[in-house]
Amino acid sequence: MIHSLFLINHLGDIFLEKHWKSVISRSVCDYFFEAREKAVDPENVPPVLQTPHHYLISIYRGKLFFLSVIQTEVPPLFVIEFLHRVADTFQDYFGGCSESVISDNVVIVYELLEEMLDNGFPLATESNVLKEMIRPPNILRSVVNTLTGGSNVGETLPQGQLSNIPWRRAGVKYTNNEAYFDVTEEIDAIVDKSGTTVSAEIQGVIEACVKLSGMPDLTMSFMNPRLLDDVSFHPCVRFRRWESERILSFIPPDGNFTLMTYHISSQNLVAIPVYVKQSISFFEAGSCGRLDITIGPKQTMGKTVEDLKVTVHMPKAVLNANLTASQGNYTYDFTTKLLVWDIGKLNPQKLPNLRGSLSMQTGVPNPEENPSLNIDLKIQQLAISGLKVSRLDMYGETYKPFKGVKYVTKAGKFQVRT
Amino acid sequence: MPYLGGEETVRELRRALSNPNVQSDPLRYRNTILKVIRTMSQGVDVSGLFSEMVKACATVDVVQKKLVYVFLCSYATLNPELSLLVINTLRKDCQDPNPMVRSLALRNMTNLRLPSLVEYVEQPLTAGLRDRAACVRRVAVLGWAKLHNLQPSSEIDAAVVNELYSLLRDPDPVVMVNCLRALEEILKEEGGVTINKPITHHLLNRLKECDIWGQCEVLRVLQRYRPQSEDELFDILSLLDSFLVSPHPPVMAATLSLFLSVSSNLPAISLAALERVSGPLLAACGSGSREMRFAAVCHIQLLLRSVPGLLGTHYKRFFCGYAEPAYIKERKMQVLVELVNDENVAMILDELKGYCTDVNTDTAQAAISAIGRIGRSYSDRCLQILTGLLGLKQDHITSAVVQTMRDLVWVCPQCSDTVCLALEGCEETLQDIQGRQALLWLLGVYGERISSAPYTLEVLIDRVRSEASLGIKMELLTATMRLFLCRPAETQDMLGRLLHYCIEEETDMCVRDQALLYYRLLHCGIEKTREVLQGRRSDPSLGVLIGRPAKPVSQWARCFNTLEPLSQGAVEAESNSRGSPEHVTYSPKPNADLSDTLSCSHIEEVHSGAEKIEEVDCAWIEECVRCPAVLHCSPQSLQAAMQLVNIQTLAFTPQHMLPWRVYLYTHTQLRVSEDGQEEEEGIKVILNQQPKDDDALRQFLTILITVLNTLSSKKD
Repeated sequence: MIHSLFLINHLGDIFLEKHWKSVISRSVCDYFFEAREKAVDPENVPPVLQTPHHYLISIYRGKLFFLSVIQTEVPPLFVIEFLHRVADTFQDYFGGCSESVISDNVVIVYELLEEMLDNGFPLATESNVLKEMIRPPNILRSVVNTLTGGSNVGETLPQGQLSNIPWRRAGVKYTNNEAYFDVTEEIDAIVDKSGTTVSAEIQGVIEACVKLSGMPDLTMSFMNPRLLDDVSFHPCVRFRRWESERILSFIPPDGNFTLMTYHISSQNLVAIPVYVKQSISFFEAGSCGRLDITIGPKQTMGKTVEDLKVTVHMPKAVLNANLTASQGNYTYDFTTKLLVWDIGKLNPQKLPNLRGSLSMQTGVPNPEENPSLNIDLKIQQLAISGLKVSRLDMYGETYKPFKGVKYVTKAGKFQVRT
Repeated sequence: MPYLGGEETVRELRRALSNPNVQSDPLRYRNTILKVIRTMSQGVDVSGLFSEMVKACATVDVVQKKLVYVFLCSYATLNPELSLLVINTLRKDCQDPNPMVRSLALRNMTNLRLPSLVEYVEQPLTAGLRDRAACVRRVAVLGWAKLHNLQPSSEIDAAVVNELYSLLRDPDPVVMVNCLRALEEILKEEGGVTINKPITHHLLNRLKECDIWGQCEVLRVLQRYRPQSEDELFDILSLLDSFLVSPHPPVMAATLSLFLSVSSNLPAISLAALERVSGPLLAACGSGSREMRFAAVCHIQLLLRSVPGLLGTHYKRFFCGYAEPAYIKERKMQVLVELVNDENVAMILDELKGYCTDVNTDTAQAAISAIGRIGRSYSDRCLQILTGLLGLKQDHITSAVVQTMRDLVWVCPQCSDTVCLALEGCEETLQDIQGRQALLWLLGVYGERISSAPYTLEVLIDRVRSEASLGIKMELLTATMRLFLCRPAETQDMLGRLLHYCIEEETDMCVRDQALLYYRLLHCGIEKTREVLQGRRSDPSLGVLIGRPAKPVSQWARCFNTLEPLSQGAVEAESNSRGSPEHVTYSPKPNADLSDTLSCSHIEEVHSGAEKIEEVDCAWIEECVRCPAVLHCSPQSLQAAMQLVNIQTLAFTPQHMLPWRVYLYTHTQLRVSEDGQEEEEGIKVILNQQPKDDDALRQFLTILITVLNTLSSKKD
């Protein structure tokens, strides 16, 4: 199925290759480089390319291309999902997925790729299983290893692979038994010039960190489970129970894992936490423009908006920006044409405002398109959809665990058109 | 950069590896090997260290073993003799009490891929199939597939194949799936693993235990199974129902694929499955990964072919974000065009208008041509937008708009007045070849209504010497000729100059031949010229039917969940927006292979095909069908009746016109397009068929007559 994998950085250098069947020469990537050249922007390279003898399927993650070479017809969704799984695993192991991180851990990367795919077929991709076979690097362990000559490879067979519950290892023991859940919601929205919402949806995820001894059986119930219509669970969740009672019942994996993800796409349920008043105009004469942006709270449910940040991709003709911010500070990078205004906390009594003039290149026609504003924000202790966990119960073990739920709302792809 | 200083590094590494002091210190030894692997991953050729690395293989340290194996597997093919030395260590490791070491050894033994080593590998592989640890069995099963790939000619022992079949019932689901994969490869010649009733039911029952990759694999293999009875079919379908709404897009797609293939003769079930799957597919369209979004949108395009109205209410999900890559935007726009209806047309056009000024020129042009496609049904609103865009005076936008207008005018001749008005003055902004070609075509065809047409052409004719593009010269010739026919006084002089230049000075044969042809044509008299150059135009009274007819699911079911929709759609869009083959056919080029052009044309081009009846009788067959009763039924009922027998009605003339004409199109394994002319006492049917098949033709005519007879008898 998957013949070879090439990792390529954004400059177009192949810095890692792995072949599961016979070795395929690097020259196959030339077709990819050609398309990369044509696309100008690395993001615009089409994910599927056809060459005379192979298909090239690639994903672009964190300025890296994961390029797989395939010889026969395959389900594209399958390959794309797998490549993302590889990238996720690297992220999970090394805390990042950049060229330097991968080159530093090249040996573990090879080991992981070897375990994840055999003869081109996916083998072990569950992070818990992999972590028992190949331990993730950390500073303490690498110090210990250099002193004692120990290794990153687990000496024993992962227990989970033979147990009835493949995601949980047997014989877990903790002195402090604790279970924490983070409910994170991201708002993806497009708001148009007049302030009406063009499209809006919420991408939610519940991340869990469960450190409980033995074989606990947990149930989690929500105050308002009807909100959730489009959900996807970790394999440990009993789906029947959810369908009939809208309760999450599961034996958790040990450690960190993603319990569920959900979308809320019906627009009337999606609250937009801030409003933006802006005017950006470019004058025909005098080669300059004006910019005026004000942000205020809209539907914040009484919580404070933090880490507020506005990013504007300016048109090419804008040379410099001469602005004053009533709160926070701004930077304009004239090579990337990126205006970033870092506001911080939103104070409803005194609305932050950024205004001033833009200097433009002379002799260039006015940009026909006004730039759009990307907004970043964070609201602690609030899930903007109104989702709330009502209780968490544990069965199967006798001790009393420490439990906690944290909510946070962030802006995902939040965009205001001008 | 990494290729520099390679030799020096290799020499240094060799010295370190063969240093006894290093060898005695396990930590230093391992670090040296690590360095070798690092250098290897940078692309330096370290194959010279092979013999040193073979020695390093004999160790108890699992990490060191793994590292050495990575090295050996990459370079074994270059040193087959030395690799023989490794085999001994590997075979010893296969006896190790630790299952991890056993599986590692077994895997790498097969990864060496040396035909000379096959005899040493077979025995441990056979033992591996019966190992008590599942992870060893997993590796061993796939090992047989690798052996087979190594020597595709030599038969794998029948006993092994039997053993693999029995391992399909292994308690470990991964072993089961790996068995399927191995058997598929080994038995490729015989059409893959045998899928009979017991195996199918066994696989289906254990589907839940597999991971998502395994589920996809099983579902894919099961597509070959044909249920023996309807009851069994429904049992299977209800078992698979929960997988159809799986949150993992690959599983969902594989399940739908299986649904479509087993229920291929039950269209109602296929349609129900499509409806059920639209939710998860839409969710995948909003997935975090842009590649996943792209694949999902492409598959939605497939779905829409059969159920055009499926996602009408969800059109907002296909609005493009600012930062989305161009390839997704392009697909989303294609979907938006499909989803247009009376309620959302204003919103969609507003949105598309915003994309027209995108920074990426390709996206902008795609948006413009999308508006043009919508213009076929909602021409007034779209023309307003397009005319507005001309005011921006951006050359790539103007070019796309002019091309779009040309395409639109062809289908909707009633727009021509607006287009003619809009064209004034845009020749200054046009830079690229395609845009100028489109402008020339429009000037030629609607020259009498554009007052500045002769002056525009004159400027171009004066500059024809420095013109590099062949297409422009040809188009210029045709346009000037056409303009001459309607405005001779203003054009005569420049036509003379142009013909003179093309015949006397032009070096390109095509242009010269065409100019000669026109010259001789003019000699034959003005009437003849008019006849050739102004063949029938598209009829302004022709009502174009709104919306695309639904195609049967079976037409695309096979390519669902394959790479085809991801690449093929792009080609289709290309031919729709850029190529515009109808205009190529239209200009009477002596060297154009007309039948070829017709055969590659899509539904829309049947109109243009119809224009050419007189000239291309080789492609069109005329049949007179005597219909006993005179037909005066309504076009709607005719269309409905035709749809029942899978004949699409493309267009018809207004009811009171005589002769009443209707354009039909059908698509069997063969392609028959038909243009019926109904007269008082019977119907004349003019047919175009690609490729020719008399049998199909006769059948088609019988069907047609039956339909007409039924309709008229109902009327009585």
